[in-house]
Amino acid sequence: MSGRLARADQRSLNDGIAVSNLSHGFDDAGVLEDVSLSVESGEILAVIGPSGTGKTTLLELLAAFYRPDDGTVRIDGTDIWTLSERDRLATRRRLGMVFQEANLFDATVRRNVSYGLHVRRGWRERLREWRSRLFGGSRTPAVTEALEAVGLGGAENQAVASLSGGEAQRVAFARALAYDPDFLLLDEPTSDLDPRNTAVIEEAVETARSRGLGVVVATHDMHQAERLADRVAVLIEGRLIEVGPAERVFTDPDDPRAQRFIDGELVYSAGENDD
Amino acid sequence: MIATIAAETFQALDPAIMEFPFERNYVESIVYVSLYVSLTAVALSTMVSLPIAMLVGFAEFPGKRFVIALVNTGMGLPSVVVGLAVLFLVSNQGPLGTLDLVFTKEAMIISQFVLATPVITGVSLAAVTGVEEGVRDAAYAMGGTRLDIALVTIKEARYGIVTGVLAGLGRAISEVGSVLIVGGNIAGADGTAITRTLTTAIQLEARQGRFELALVLGAILLTLVLFVNAVVLRFGGGRI
Amino acid sequence: MHRREFVAALASGGAVAVAGCSDTDENVEVGIVGETLTLTTTTSTYDTGLVDEVDAAFEDRYGVTVEAVSQGTGAALESARRGDSDVVLVHARSLEDEFLREGYGVNRRDLMFNDFVIVGPEGDPAGIDGMESVTDAFAAIAESESVFVSRGDSSGTHTKELAIWEDTESDPGGDWYREAGSGMGQVLTQADQSGAYTLADRGTFISMRSELSIGIRVQGPIEGGPALLANPYGIAAVNPAVHETVNYDLALAYIGFLTSREGQELIESYSVDGEQLFFPEALSEDPNFQQYVPEGWRPEEE
Repeated sequence: MSGRLARADQRSLNDGIAVSNLSHGFDDAGVLEDVSLSVESGEILAVIGPSGTGKTTLLELLAAFYRPDDGTVRIDGTDIWTLSERDRLATRRRLGMVFQEANLFDATVRRNVSYGLHVRRGWRERLREWRSRLFGGSRTPAVTEALEAVGLGGAENQAVASLSGGEAQRVAFARALAYDPDFLLLDEPTSDLDPRNTAVIEEAVETARSRGLGVVVATHDMHQAERLADRVAVLIEGRLIEVGPAERVFTDPDDPRAQRFIDGELVYSAGENDD
Repeated sequence: MIATIAAETFQALDPAIMEFPFERNYVESIVYVSLYVSLTAVALSTMVSLPIAMLVGFAEFPGKRFVIALVNTGMGLPSVVVGLAVLFLVSNQGPLGTLDLVFTKEAMIISQFVLATPVITGVSLAAVTGVEEGVRDAAYAMGGTRLDIALVTIKEARYGIVTGVLAGLGRAISEVGSVLIVGGNIAGADGTAITRTLTTAIQLEARQGRFELALVLGAILLTLVLFVNAVVLRFGGGRI
Repeated sequence: MHRREFVAALASGGAVAVAGCSDTDENVEVGIVGETLTLTTTTSTYDTGLVDEVDAAFEDRYGVTVEAVSQGTGAALESARRGDSDVVLVHARSLEDEFLREGYGVNRRDLMFNDFVIVGPEGDPAGIDGMESVTDAFAAIAESESVFVSRGDSSGTHTKELAIWEDTESDPGGDWYREAGSGMGQVLTQADQSGAYTLADRGTFISMRSELSIGIRVQGPIEGGPALLANPYGIAAVNPAVHETVNYDLALAYIGFLTSREGQELIESYSVDGEQLFFPEALSEDPNFQQYVPEGWRPEEE
């Protein structure tokens, strides 16, 4: 269980994660159109674009929520939809995901954060775990470390209902870290948070990267993208119009629409403006 | 025992009843039968209702709307009708006649199972479909199997489910129509109940015109139901 | 062996065979020990408490258990038809006869009787007070179109009432004849409030007498009235040829017990509030062949 402290070069997702020619739509409306990109271990890719542009769908496809209408999703080089359900389960278990809302379970912080570890156990182990919990329960180092990474080390026994919005999201982040995934998928993780909580999470993201995780973060916050990303992908109306190193995309993008977006001229469908 | 507590409470509250009108053995035995039959029926029903509720709530299959209609209709099944149907089943000349179930507590459990299941299923269905999709997505994202996600959903919906179970228990323990028909309201010559429940005992007193005695038994039944509700809600954290 | 002794032995078959075996032992070592007998009977019979009393004695004697189910007369016989009970005790001769004719019942015995009374308002609009003929009394009620409340529920009382109407050869119907479809207590209350006549079993009437303004207009045989108002109880075993699984041995032991001296004495001595409720009828030196077959049956019938 010491994977978290493993060195970056011992990461096992050698081929990273990638999508090729990905297209997907809902109810006859196209959401993603021929998107191709890849992310390596140890790098942070920010996917930016207006709200409603398909960022969530992209992440959900990466997380194997559903099968794309067209194109492939590869994790560690393998098209996950050619795998058996069991193998696909094993593969997607190397990913961690944080949503825009915390989506915590109505239980203690510890139960939430340990959930990932819990489902990876066989039934006999789970019975043992359940029994020991009846008699006081013990701390799991993985849980404690994950919580410390988001600055909530002492909150294990707190009920989720007593957390503030920012704290809840931090717990959600710890929850995704606790089982030591190889990749993190973050869907606008800080858009509902105040600057302080945002900073805590961004710091945790950078720590994760330094440990060798690969990260895909969808965001409409340009500054956040600038702060965090190694590479940036610009998604407008379901199409990938620009992808490359962060610095280049922000200072000298190839596509003029990307430039206009970065300059804040493209309006969101939700009417939310950011600078 | 609850019956004794209720009996003594009565004595204390109403000086007009100089002594408790029933023998302790009698009351204890009918309370036992009531609890044994209804609690077993509800427990079995819950084990069946939860999977059905999950299936109807989250899976697609042909005839799904028919099942939903069935559940809703089932909540209003008249207990006498269910009793007759079960009697036909377990009667000596019925298909299950060889099992010797007629006029037994087990037959009563069957009929109350039929009465309670639609109630528990219906309420649980509302509870589990009310669980936020985001929570289910989170369970999936963290590597949960379909079974894991189902368990998470049930846990998140636990208060609603408990409400449903208590509603099913209420339906079962206070019905008289089906247990009377399939059970036969039998009490041994020594007064020990074999298939006599509180409700059928009440009915017996009432048909003989002994209304006050019927009400005494009714009060015991209510106390019992209150007690069970309190225990279950305390267990579940006390939140409705 | 004399025919009547033979017949008596047949009816109490199990008891005779068993009695021979029991010397000093209370609990008899026969195949029926530890078994359960299911008896179906009517609610009014059960509610008197007699059944529990005799069952306790029977259970003690044989080391068995009796499960008594009190249902309506019709339901009791229906349960027997289905083989859900082993022995049935009711007081509706015509329905019992039907039960026998259909082949569901065997070894019927007369068990005991009490009686009915015709009750009605003080004013006695039909003028039946003290009449010796029940048929005439009913005919008078029909002719004067005085209000009459019927049980209307196929109970023993209702069956008797219908039999009397048949004797009068007048079909009761019209505004004055009301079918209540409920128990004796409720029917008496209804008759009281409408100032109507009704046929009631003596037991229930007596227990409610203080609350009623209607009174006995025609007595039953216990107090010297016409014999037609007798309410005889019969007991029969369910035919094991129709339902293999009924406990026939135990049913016959039960019938034998109830029709034995001991059983009949228990019945005679059973009282509620100091009043005797039932009059034993099973034991008789003179032959009573009619109790074994449907009333009016002749050997040529087939």
